[in-house]
Amino acid sequence: MNVNYIWYFLTFLTLVSAIMVVVVRNPIHSVLYLILTFFCISAHYVLLNAQFLAAVNVIVYAGAIMVLFLFVIMFLNLREYTAESKTNLVKLGAAVLGGVLLVIIVAALRSMQIEPLNKATYNSQVGMVESLGKVLFRDYLLPFELITVLFFVAMVGAVMLGKRETGERNF
Amino acid sequence: MLSIISLSLFGILNLFLGFLKSRRVLLPATLLFIALAFAANLLDWNHQYVYFRDMLRTNNLFINFSSIILLTTFLTVAISRSFGTDEEHTHPAEYYAIMLFSVVGALMMVGFENLIMLFIGLEILSVSLYVLTGSDKRSLRSNEAALKYFLMGSFATGIFLFGIALVYGATGSFNLSAIGSYVSGGPTTGISPLLYVGLLFILAGMLFKVSAAPFHFWTPDVYDGAPTLFTAFMSTVVKTAGFAALYRLLTVSFTGVYGLWWQVLTGVTVLTLLVGNITAVYQSSVKRMLAYSSVSHAGYLLIAVAAKTPQSPSAILFYSLAYSIATITGFAVLILVAEQKPIEGRPDERYEAFNGLAKRNPLLAFSLAVSMVSLAGIPLTAGFWGKFFVFSTAVDRGMTNMGMVLVVAVLMSVVGVYYYFRVIIASYLKTGDSEPIGIRPLYRFILVLTTALTIGLGLFPDVVRQLF
Amino acid sequence: MPYLSLLIILPLLAALLVVFLPNRNQTTFRWIALVASLLNFLLTLLLFFRFDKSVAGYQFVEQTDWITLSLGPLGVVSIDYFLGLDGISLPLVLLAGLVLAIGAISSFEIKQKQKAYFALYSLLSASLMGCFVALDLFLFFLFFEFMLLPMYFLIGLWGGERREYASIKFFVYTFLGSIFILLVMIGLYLSVADPVETAVAMGLVPGKELVDANVIADVQNYLQEGRIEADQIVHTFSIPYMAEPGNYLPQSLLNIAADHVLFGQSARMLAFVLVFLGFAVKLPVVPLHTWLPDAHVEAPTPVSVVLAGVLLKIGGYGFIRIAYGLFPDGAIVFAPWLGGLGVLSIVYGALNALAMNDLKRMIAYSSVSHMGFVLLGLASLTSEGVNGALFQMVSHGILSAMLFLIAGVLYTRTHDRQLDSYRGLAARMPGYVTLTAIAFFGSLGLPALSGFIGEFFTIMGAFNSPYLPNWMAPVATLGIVLAAGYFLWTLQRLFFGEFWSKHEAGLLTDVTPRERLMLVPLAALALMLGILPGILLNLTQSTVGEFLKNF
Repeated sequence: MNVNYIWYFLTFLTLVSAIMVVVVRNPIHSVLYLILTFFCISAHYVLLNAQFLAAVNVIVYAGAIMVLFLFVIMFLNLREYTAESKTNLVKLGAAVLGGVLLVIIVAALRSMQIEPLNKATYNSQVGMVESLGKVLFRDYLLPFELITVLFFVAMVGAVMLGKRETGERNF
Repeated sequence: MLSIISLSLFGILNLFLGFLKSRRVLLPATLLFIALAFAANLLDWNHQYVYFRDMLRTNNLFINFSSIILLTTFLTVAISRSFGTDEEHTHPAEYYAIMLFSVVGALMMVGFENLIMLFIGLEILSVSLYVLTGSDKRSLRSNEAALKYFLMGSFATGIFLFGIALVYGATGSFNLSAIGSYVSGGPTTGISPLLYVGLLFILAGMLFKVSAAPFHFWTPDVYDGAPTLFTAFMSTVVKTAGFAALYRLLTVSFTGVYGLWWQVLTGVTVLTLLVGNITAVYQSSVKRMLAYSSVSHAGYLLIAVAAKTPQSPSAILFYSLAYSIATITGFAVLILVAEQKPIEGRPDERYEAFNGLAKRNPLLAFSLAVSMVSLAGIPLTAGFWGKFFVFSTAVDRGMTNMGMVLVVAVLMSVVGVYYYFRVIIASYLKTGDSEPIGIRPLYRFILVLTTALTIGLGLFPDVVRQLF
Repeated sequence: MPYLSLLIILPLLAALLVVFLPNRNQTTFRWIALVASLLNFLLTLLLFFRFDKSVAGYQFVEQTDWITLSLGPLGVVSIDYFLGLDGISLPLVLLAGLVLAIGAISSFEIKQKQKAYFALYSLLSASLMGCFVALDLFLFFLFFEFMLLPMYFLIGLWGGERREYASIKFFVYTFLGSIFILLVMIGLYLSVADPVETAVAMGLVPGKELVDANVIADVQNYLQEGRIEADQIVHTFSIPYMAEPGNYLPQSLLNIAADHVLFGQSARMLAFVLVFLGFAVKLPVVPLHTWLPDAHVEAPTPVSVVLAGVLLKIGGYGFIRIAYGLFPDGAIVFAPWLGGLGVLSIVYGALNALAMNDLKRMIAYSSVSHMGFVLLGLASLTSEGVNGALFQMVSHGILSAMLFLIAGVLYTRTHDRQLDSYRGLAARMPGYVTLTAIAFFGSLGLPALSGFIGEFFTIMGAFNSPYLPNWMAPVATLGIVLAAGYFLWTLQRLFFGEFWSKHEAGLLTDVTPRERLMLVPLAALALMLGILPGILLNLTQSTVGEFLKNF
């Protein structure tokens, strides 16, 4: 019973802060709301018995990446975001598409049946580091290794694009 | 599998080669690497392997698709040039390495047996392309294109990932065959509605990557802004890998709900054909025309996917091969011609730049003409057979299902003739003051090779078809 | 001797020779093209004398495997290099041989980019010949569509002022038509099995040469009873096999018995309409004709000659061989429509011709009108009508070649084809007047010239036809009256009265020996066919008789 209330509260907070990220005009406020959103999602993870994921989410997203965001925004001295005015037609189209999407998802969720938790077979350790590690390094070893290629590309690309260039064109 | 591992290592090796004083060795080394990967790929011919707990499956279909991808990469790398004379500020080693890495992603997309693999493959490919698109750092267009591609691509990836999550939520698995048996086996409670939503999201993400309408809006700007070499790379490799992945995903996992995705795909196909072809007519730049033409070819490929007959994979293979070869030829000639007379420092990519090409550069004009004729799908070229096989799959599926699509496809291939022939008109029928263009031997060899392949595949399609 | 292959290979060799010879001696190119086309013409004459008129089937047959594609669980599709000649194609092959030779002579006036011109001309000759002798639908389609490329460049490179517009219009129109044909072709090959190769694939006989009529009948029975595994069926593009209902897979899309319905129409009817549209662009049938006047006006004289003399005939040939041959049921159902379109073409073309001031445009519209007779004759599905349609094709080939050469004579002298630029040419160009008069009278259907026989037979066929309403034949005769109107009026405007011209009188010299060399044989032939129509009708009648048994 209590957990349910926590869940409702967290979800409400998540949605509100997510909406605020988009709505507020000051980019710094926007990032702060984003951090709040990430914290709320981490709390959801805890409710779902995924403690490790919750910790990682806080450390990586709410911690490292958001600090980087803030740093960049302050560095660039972006005070106020002036929105480009979109035509009404675009706004209308976006609203219609978004509305349709919302209806589809809500309809799908409503007609969904969720299997109740089976207490006899439930493994309470499922979200712990140990079981995660087992899955990651046994079942998902190949994708795990290949992600390094992705990071490598991102790294090389970032360095290459970030380096200051003088002289002629490359191509 | 060996090809994926070797390409990853070769990419790193390539970065180290960048430390060498002489940049000369880079191009041959990269070509050698690709050739080695190609050979490693062929080792598994006629064998079926499943690697790492159902993560990757290699069979002849995988080898065929990855051979096409490696071949197009080889051709693209071979027409890359010396990256300027300014040794200090160019990064050929990095470009080549990123291209090799992106092929790793493409191969993962071809052989995936698990949605996670598909996602990572797609990400590797996309991130590499974001970087390559923006590689012409002094060009505002290139920067803009890269940013646009990055933002929209990330959004599409997000939707794609959401789709995967929903499908996982419905089926409890990332594994293709497990999802497939859930969908067709029919769980007692009925298929979860989450699966449908997830499938639609996955489709949206994939269709974005292969630039099918209405997810094509990024295509012309990005293709136009990117350095032409990488446009050639993007428009061929991504398409081949994307369609291999799309077909594999839909047929292995979602055959049970064919009725659902068939409708979505036919709608998208019709729209793609219409948008791609009709907009291509109004372009004044050859590069933009080729960008829209790549949209329209996505439409033809989608026909084969939507038809889902036993012939479909070989039709997609042949079409991708014909399309890739012809497109690379087209872009290769465009690179040379556009740089003849730059306008305000930018390559001149308008149709007018081709005026009178045939007179002074018969080889270039002829290769270009053959590639355009092939793209238009006229007999005795590879493109015709591609179209023939694709249309065959649709007729085989049944006209009640595919009739409308076929009618549109037929009309649009006529429209295609119009804009492809504008290039031929410019180079053969118009007079211009083009100078003879110096072509390096390797470049010349590639042009002759692709032209010969286009005609050879047009005369004897069965030679290659036997392999598929 | 592989005569029919030679017909294709000779011009191809000429094209290759022209391409690979050095550029120094521009004049040799035309001689190569001319010699090749003359040899080809002699070859067609040889075929004419060796042809057995009493046989209705195909003669001089050549067949080799070309492309064999595996369709996986759907079996195999085999595309053959399959050539043959019967009474329907022989007259057209003769015509093509003659007109291409005349065109090669006429091409001597081309002075620019001779290498490219003669290579393309030879290539065009090869694909035109290929169209008439191919018996594999795929091979036919290949020639049919490949022909567009040389034609496109011939109009686009050596044409008049609006050549780019005319050439791309020509290309796009015909390409649209051929894509329709492609669709039907795909439907056909998926529906039709090759009984001979299927027998071999099933293991009934060890080799193809051992297959006899019994085995074929067995295979067809097995096929109809659905007793052949799908992956053993060898699909085929062979036109003779496609014409036999027994070879259609049961329940396949285009099987008569299966009677599939698409968009509320029977699949076979739809297929017939698509093929019809494909060839109607070529013929051309009003309202798909608008590319023709443009192409003719812009094309150089020899290209116009080939275009009118041979290319349009492929439309008519395609009707008989493919639309009517493979879909006889469609031909019966749509007969009144086709006849109506034929009459429309006749009258509309004639009325347009009447209004034209440009000589070439006038002739182009007269072509539309005359090819309408072909359609009318075919639609009648009577022996007179179909024989007459074939005759009309040959006759129009000869006469329109003449007419375009005549227009070319004026054009080479003054670069002006407007009728109102000249008056009373008779005084200065007597030889020209005689030849023009023969061509004009032949075209307007004067008895004793070839045009009369063709028009007479087709209209007679339309009268006797059980499929066509009675009003069509009288309305079609209106076309002849109009033809008399515009030809005689043109004759009067150009030649009679006092001599006057916008241009220097000195330019207007009489026909040169080379022009005479081209025009006189054509005129003689028109006269000969008008007096002795039996030469042609004997060739066609037994095949046509057999052909009409399908209806």
